[in-house]
Amino acid sequence: MRDFQIQQLVDDLEPVAALKPNRSMAASLAIMTAVLVVIMLWLGPRNDIMIGKPDTMFLLRGGTLLLLGLANAYGVLAMASPSVGRHGNGWKIALAAALLFPLAALIVALSVSPADAMAATETGLQCLRMSVMGGLATAIPMVLHLRRGAPTSPERAGWLTGLAAGGLGAFAYSFHCPDNSIIYIGFWYSLAVGVCAVSGRLVVPRLIRW
Amino acid sequence: MIAREETLRDLMARSQQGDKQAYSVLLEQCSLWLSRFFRQKIAADAVDDLVQDTLISLHRKRASYDPARPFLPWLAAIARYRWVDRLRQTYRHATSELQDVHGTESHEDVVGAQISIARLLDQIPAGQAEAIRLVKIDGLSVAEACTKSGQSEPLIKVNIHRGLKRLTMLIESE
Repeated sequence: MRDFQIQQLVDDLEPVAALKPNRSMAASLAIMTAVLVVIMLWLGPRNDIMIGKPDTMFLLRGGTLLLLGLANAYGVLAMASPSVGRHGNGWKIALAAALLFPLAALIVALSVSPADAMAATETGLQCLRMSVMGGLATAIPMVLHLRRGAPTSPERAGWLTGLAAGGLGAFAYSFHCPDNSIIYIGFWYSLAVGVCAVSGRLVVPRLIRW
Repeated sequence: MIAREETLRDLMARSQQGDKQAYSVLLEQCSLWLSRFFRQKIAADAVDDLVQDTLISLHRKRASYDPARPFLPWLAAIARYRWVDRLRQTYRHATSELQDVHGTESHEDVVGAQISIARLLDQIPAGQAEAIRLVKIDGLSVAEACTKSGQSEPLIKVNIHRGLKRLTMLIESE
């Protein structure tokens, strides 16, 4: 019985190219860049970028989001090629660093009035909408890569895909976002990344189970 | 005798390029290795099915193997995934049929011990591992498992559910 099965598999053999995580990463980054360019052309860049003097908060926020996106994207792409004994914890460190923003926002929000804390809701909703839409686009190459691969933990792969997409999508939008308030960043950007992460957890496992 | 890691890695790399002769040898070797791997923690009558499922997964997911990395940890991850998947299904068999074939400490045995499926069960809480062993591996009913373990019926069910989720998260752990 097993010999028969093996012969069937041998007869069915076709050459395959081993998965190339770098190629999928490049595709996600290309989409992120395209989203960034569209946002810049459509909504316009921040004033400080226009005059060539980027604000410190813009740099910190952008750097954190990019690191979060890259670390999670790297982690999720690696999950497509399973291996017992592999340790990929870079995404946890990047996530912990990114959590400093909502934590700082919470501490600052406690000392201001609720009205001040909830200001800029309209631009916040735009931030949420654009970051999530851009992020979902960057997730496509990651999901396709996972579908070709053999991820052994589909739920975790879903979380990581969402976090990566959220980080990259929010990074692209941050080039337009004029707000430098820590409360705004801690709430709206965290919400955008969180929505992407939950969406990834809910949707991605169904697409990649094998 | 089962081929060594370096040989298996070479065979897999050639198989990815479409070398059917290398693939045939690889599948035979993997079949032997998987039989030993699964025989540690599953009944003999279930081993063949699980080996076949894993070989089919190996075939379907062969692009996911990176020739620059060791082969056996990749195969073990796929085998563990299929094993946990199988645990989710209900099946029964006699405890007495469980076998441990790792009697001597050859190179393959050391590798096997590091990535064995038994090691996975050791990494989850004792109550969850016991519930999974009794119901999913030894084939007891939930009521029988309650009597044997002292856990309540709802706790057995919760422990199986949580234990299987935890096993999935641990598939690539050492």
